[in-house]
Amino acid sequence: MNYRLKVVLIQLGGLLALLGLWWFFTDVRPIWPKYVLPDPGAVWTEMKFGLFGKSPDGKLTMSILNSLRRVAIGFLIAVGSGLVVGVILSVSKPLRDVVSGYLTAVQSVPSIAFVPLAILFFGLNERAVLAVVILEGFIPVALSVAGALGNVPPALRTAGRTLGAKGIGLVTRVMLPASLPNLVGGLRTAWSFSWRALIGAELLTTNPGLGQLLEIGRNTANVALVFTTIITVGVVGALFDVLIRSLESRIRYNYGLEGES
Amino acid sequence: MLGAVGVATGAALLGVSTVQAQKATTVRIGYFPNLTHAPALVALERGEFAKAFGKVTLQTKDFVSGTQLSEAFAAGTIDIGYIGPGPAINAVAKGLPVQIIAGASNAGAVLIARKGVNIATFKDLAGKKVGVPSLGNTQDISLRHILKEQGLKSQVDGGNVSIIPVAPADVAAAFSSKSLDAALVPEPWGALLESQGNKLVLDEKAIWRGGNYPSAVVIVNTQFAADNPQLVQAFVKAHLNAVNFILKNTPAAQAAISAQLLKLTGQKVNALVLQRALARTRITADIDMDALKEYADLNREAGYAREIPDLSKAVNLTYLNAARAGK
Repeated sequence: MNYRLKVVLIQLGGLLALLGLWWFFTDVRPIWPKYVLPDPGAVWTEMKFGLFGKSPDGKLTMSILNSLRRVAIGFLIAVGSGLVVGVILSVSKPLRDVVSGYLTAVQSVPSIAFVPLAILFFGLNERAVLAVVILEGFIPVALSVAGALGNVPPALRTAGRTLGAKGIGLVTRVMLPASLPNLVGGLRTAWSFSWRALIGAELLTTNPGLGQLLEIGRNTANVALVFTTIITVGVVGALFDVLIRSLESRIRYNYGLEGES
Repeated sequence: MLGAVGVATGAALLGVSTVQAQKATTVRIGYFPNLTHAPALVALERGEFAKAFGKVTLQTKDFVSGTQLSEAFAAGTIDIGYIGPGPAINAVAKGLPVQIIAGASNAGAVLIARKGVNIATFKDLAGKKVGVPSLGNTQDISLRHILKEQGLKSQVDGGNVSIIPVAPADVAAAFSSKSLDAALVPEPWGALLESQGNKLVLDEKAIWRGGNYPSAVVIVNTQFAADNPQLVQAFVKAHLNAVNFILKNTPAAQAAISAQLLKLTGQKVNALVLQRALARTRITADIDMDALKEYADLNREAGYAREIPDLSKAVNLTYLNAARAGK
């Protein structure tokens, strides 16, 4: 059997086992009351209504779309600005050493800690959420761009110069393509940081989205909705990770870093 | 105590019968620093609960919203609570072991517009940021109903009114930073905001049912009530005393309310403001079942529940009737 199929089958088996345990401890031998741990059926009902039900029940689809739109905008801006800052940092090692220390410090602060500040600066609106998403996504991109450019083999740089590339041309035509495989890893980190920052920020602000849906579930004692939202956040996050990962292995394959699997 | 309750519930759920009821050594009461919870404020300030419970220790905790309080009930950390009908109905609908045992107040919430913002009627709420104590709470449900009647919708439902949860005591600060344009708040926060130059858009009567709707009720953990009926009875008696005291003796009741509000929120509410706020709040231990049913409807209409719980099981007036009969 092919390796990838095996992994998927084992994952599916694990999921079924988890569902079985969940069902067993909520329906057959309940440990916690239903208002603490809902049964799989209740969560499924909530998910069905959320995805296919009409407003005001069907908030899940709209929340997913709103969150995706927000993270897409935030992520694109983060990647763009991270690329620029990363290139600037790659130019000088002293600059890189000084600034990346700061960036790492900012990155170690949980994104949710920036939400109150963002609300003060931008108000209780979508811009506050975007600011946090961009801040979280931008740092890993900048750091990985700076690092990847610094790791481009000197031979390639020399070859590029010999062939007439210089200045920005050297960066865009030689350095960036050469460091692409390393960059995609940074993109993946940036995506997961942005996604987490988004849900956290939505939880604390009032924009319609998955974070807000979680808050509504909490506020209406609807723990099934809380579970539904958490599962959705996880599934959407994982799907995008798979997407970027396949892009990554495609690129690594093209660069001869990975055999065809 | 907590552990004992946890073990008892755990054992009960696993089908193991508990040999004897857990007699409480502590009664934990939750309430909010609002006028709609005035009976709690007065009873606490005058020591009525402590007197009623005798040797049993009284523990109190103040909350900002009913949604937090109902979380505390779910976690099993509160035995008796003053709460809005919205969260109370949600708690019952989601199977939390709670019952409504008395009313506390009717009406007592108003819509206030920030100084300088042009809101004359509900229609003008379009495109505005409106504060409520918390999502899913009683004022939030009232506001969503009002919006629906005006053909408006909240942002989450695809409309253009942002409904923003802000603790009533923090609305003044939110107004000054222009984070909010208006707020539907329980008293005395409405009267207080009004005294700061903000504008009353609609009073308590215009919100719903001419002011004849519950804004706070008393709920009890059913397991606690089953194990400690005499404590619950003593509580309801003290609650009823506080209600009557407020209805009869206005200046002393006001002083007690004012003292509790200061302790809980650090804000001193001026006597005139308090008087005005109290005039908009109808303190009562009664429960209007029709209004409660309509609330359950509004709650569903707001999208917070898909079903309407069996309210006859959710309300238990035995303690209240016994207290009234002088038992």
